[in-house]
Amino acid sequence: MGGGGLTTYVARRVLIALGLVYIVTTIVFLVLHVIPGDPAMLLLSGGGVDPSAEAVAELRRKLGLDQPIFTQYIDYLAGLLQGDLGNSFQDDHPVAAEIAKRLPRTIELILAAALLSVLTGLPLGTLAALRQGGITDRSLSLVAGLMLSVPVFVTGTLLVLVFAQKLQWVPAGGFVEWSRDPIRHLIHLLMPAVTIAMGLSAVIFRMMRTTVLETLQQEWVRTARAKGLSGRSVLLRHVVRNALGPVLTVLGLHMGTLLGGTVLVEYVFNWPGLSGFLVVAVETRDYPEVQGIVLVISFLFILLNLLVDLLYSVLDPRIRLE
Amino acid sequence: MNPKLRRLLPRLLLVGLILGLALFAPLLTDQDPVKMTISERLQPPSADHYLGQDEYGRDILARLLYGARVSLAVALLAAAAAGVIGVTLGLVGGYFGGIAELFTVRLTDIVLSFPPMLLALLIVTILGPGAETLTLVLTILYTPGYARVAYGETLSARSVEYVEASRALGASPFRILFRTILPNISGPLIVQFSLTVASAILIESGLSFLGLGVVPPDSSWGLMIRAARGYMVYSPLPLLWPCLALTVTVLAVNALCDALRDIYDPKAAREGGLLQAARSLVRFPVAGEARRAEAEPAEDAQVKVSDLRIEFATPHGAFAAVDGVSLAIGRGETVAVVGESGSGKTMIGLSILRLIPGPHGSITAGSIALRTKQGDVLPLEQLDEEALEEVRGRDVAMVFQEPMTSLNPVYPVGEQIAEALRRHHDLNKREALAKAIELLERVGIPDAALRVRDYPHQMSGGMRQRVMIAIALSCTPALVVADEPTTALDVTVQAQILDLFQHLRDEGDSDLGLMFITHNLGVVAEIADRVLVMYCGRIVEEGPVREVFRDPRHPYTRGLLSSIPRVNQATGERAPLTAIPGTVPGPGERPQGCAFAPRCAFAEPRCSVEEPVAHSFAPGRSTRCLRWDELGPAAARDTEREITQEAGQ
Repeated sequence: MGGGGLTTYVARRVLIALGLVYIVTTIVFLVLHVIPGDPAMLLLSGGGVDPSAEAVAELRRKLGLDQPIFTQYIDYLAGLLQGDLGNSFQDDHPVAAEIAKRLPRTIELILAAALLSVLTGLPLGTLAALRQGGITDRSLSLVAGLMLSVPVFVTGTLLVLVFAQKLQWVPAGGFVEWSRDPIRHLIHLLMPAVTIAMGLSAVIFRMMRTTVLETLQQEWVRTARAKGLSGRSVLLRHVVRNALGPVLTVLGLHMGTLLGGTVLVEYVFNWPGLSGFLVVAVETRDYPEVQGIVLVISFLFILLNLLVDLLYSVLDPRIRLE
Repeated sequence: MNPKLRRLLPRLLLVGLILGLALFAPLLTDQDPVKMTISERLQPPSADHYLGQDEYGRDILARLLYGARVSLAVALLAAAAAGVIGVTLGLVGGYFGGIAELFTVRLTDIVLSFPPMLLALLIVTILGPGAETLTLVLTILYTPGYARVAYGETLSARSVEYVEASRALGASPFRILFRTILPNISGPLIVQFSLTVASAILIESGLSFLGLGVVPPDSSWGLMIRAARGYMVYSPLPLLWPCLALTVTVLAVNALCDALRDIYDPKAAREGGLLQAARSLVRFPVAGEARRAEAEPAEDAQVKVSDLRIEFATPHGAFAAVDGVSLAIGRGETVAVVGESGSGKTMIGLSILRLIPGPHGSITAGSIALRTKQGDVLPLEQLDEEALEEVRGRDVAMVFQEPMTSLNPVYPVGEQIAEALRRHHDLNKREALAKAIELLERVGIPDAALRVRDYPHQMSGGMRQRVMIAIALSCTPALVVADEPTTALDVTVQAQILDLFQHLRDEGDSDLGLMFITHNLGVVAEIADRVLVMYCGRIVEEGPVREVFRDPRHPYTRGLLSSIPRVNQATGERAPLTAIPGTVPGPGERPQGCAFAPRCAFAEPRCSVEEPVAHSFAPGRSTRCLRWDELGPAAARDTEREITQEAGQ
């Protein structure tokens, strides 16, 4: 019964995720069309200078805006299915190729940050819950509250100022390929990952603390103690283990903020992932590039949320029945 | 003042102060935030420029104050606009449902499938940066949040009486939505508003920092940080000021959110009460104090409790939940402990496993002597946590009231039984699981080999309680404490579980001592050898079940007996049901003299003065009533009535 429930559950989640991918794809397409005014005109009208009629016509042709909207939509979907995200306005290179090169770096950064946050947030949150009201709890909660309020680009900038420029312990930013020098690769990864992890770790800390406190009240904890389990076993097997599900859900809810924060952090540390590329593309108003990156990161967002859902169903068997 | 308001007020003042600084910027400084004086670039603080000058010689204080105006205006405007749109959509979607819901709430939900920053950048690309674009973008981003809150609250408010009343009075939907429902969901919306403002400030400053938000020459904290990054090694101050301003503002708004949520979200307020549980897990008593001394051997008693007193610390002082209780349970004996809720019966059960919820509750006097399977007698009240862990599950086990919540939802039931087995026996996983299957069969679960892999939520309440009993029996304890094990179950299932207990007691190991805690005298008649009646933390009457039922010598016992539905077997007549008037006095309300006197039909003036002591009037029987000897004959008329278990309570 358990196995069948799980298969159905996974299948349903995957279908929902695919539906979301379709919706996101369509919305991204529509954004250019629902915004009032001629998109080509808008895209060219930076700096207060009115663009020439030729330039507008040229851009309209480039974007395919001279075609009927339905044809545009079909062309867009067909392109996507073949992995074609269009060509950059700036240098006419295919956007998909550039993204393929940069995406792994963004994913690496996110995973490193998530790992750091989980490794700090879970144990500290548990500790604070067990010492509720004590000095450890209060100081940890204070630090977490502070870390949640400092914007990620402020943290990043200050870390650069102190550790890279003043103390000169680490490079201020940049990137070294793993294949060229793994150690230096990791050194460059450290500060951006820590910057993202600070806020995320505080989120996990808070949620873990609350959930552990709630779980400690559960009757199965009393049952576990009545079996004669040691405080340690009760804590690990019946409290922490049960608290993981809700914490994971919160992690899922913060995935959007995490991805947004990554844009800023990559920019601060000159990390050559998707997001730094995105900022330049927005500045130069290179619509195909922006559209491609937004699509890919949104897909990543949906994928990460799908993974969170699936992991949750492993952690808490009750979910599969919903 | 209300402590929640006391928390709120300073935060409100701080946020108000920040808003005031932004609002009155022109009055607070006469410096021009955009006037450049290149010759005075990066000057330190001076009498004219309190915070110094930036890379163009502009006054930093003026730029901070004017920057706050732009940042806060964008954030507040977007939060308000999103609020109006989102709340309207949410109200309409929640009230009308169906198609309306699809086109309001579900439509705005689409925004949530994007990471917010990315959607913002997509729109900025098309419209170009600037404060107007920012406001529009933020409005789009935050509309779904409001819509969801308003939708959820409307759904629950729609069925509330005052809404149905105004609908019945013929009020128009518009009027109901905006005049009746809206004011009642304003709390959560205020919280949502402050959350949105904090988040909007972050996104605004983030975009400005990237150079894609507010455009120069306008000032913004994000822009100031962006510019100061270039020369922060030489001159960190121009960087630190906006960083500080931004952090303090977000911190203040976040703190305000927390305080508002405390007020509007009762769930958050519960946390204070969780203290005990956390403490009791980590703070073990000092091992040095523990003595494994032999307690007084009580002939063949599995457990002997003497003069036990359990106190709870309350804000009004200590309160004795159990006050001088002595009892013994012999080998193979089933003793029922009966009483209304608040009588202290559960605390006695928990104390035998030393599971009284600390640190507020503790044993302050008396002793609990438990005979182990090896025949040692352990003074439980003196053992340290480590020694207690050895005893729990092995020598004494417990079955709890709620089978729904007493099993861990994330492990299969077999694993939960195996866990108890492996704690006290040297078994590997497979052996323990095989033993778990045997136990499941023993407690009457069909297809045990299959069900052993089930999770608790896949089982019925009765099945789950059988699993709980299997866990309790797993290490063949000498004593099982069952705390209202049938109360949470359906009547027919109750009977099955009682049968199971009887069966377990009567089969092979008849040495099993059973303490059966219940408020149901029908259950007592079925299962127990002896009964202890508790009231206000004391045993008021005690004796063999048949004798106590035939000849109760405490008015409370009589009251309990006459509140069971009974049928006269000879005539088929139903005996009249009478309830005991009044309720159990709460902590700190215990009257002088006999605690039961205010509810007692037999009370005399002396009952509220003189405290009755336990009077042993026949072998094995005792009562705590001043008028016990006058009660006998009157009660005798109930003698031959058969007690049925009909209707439970």
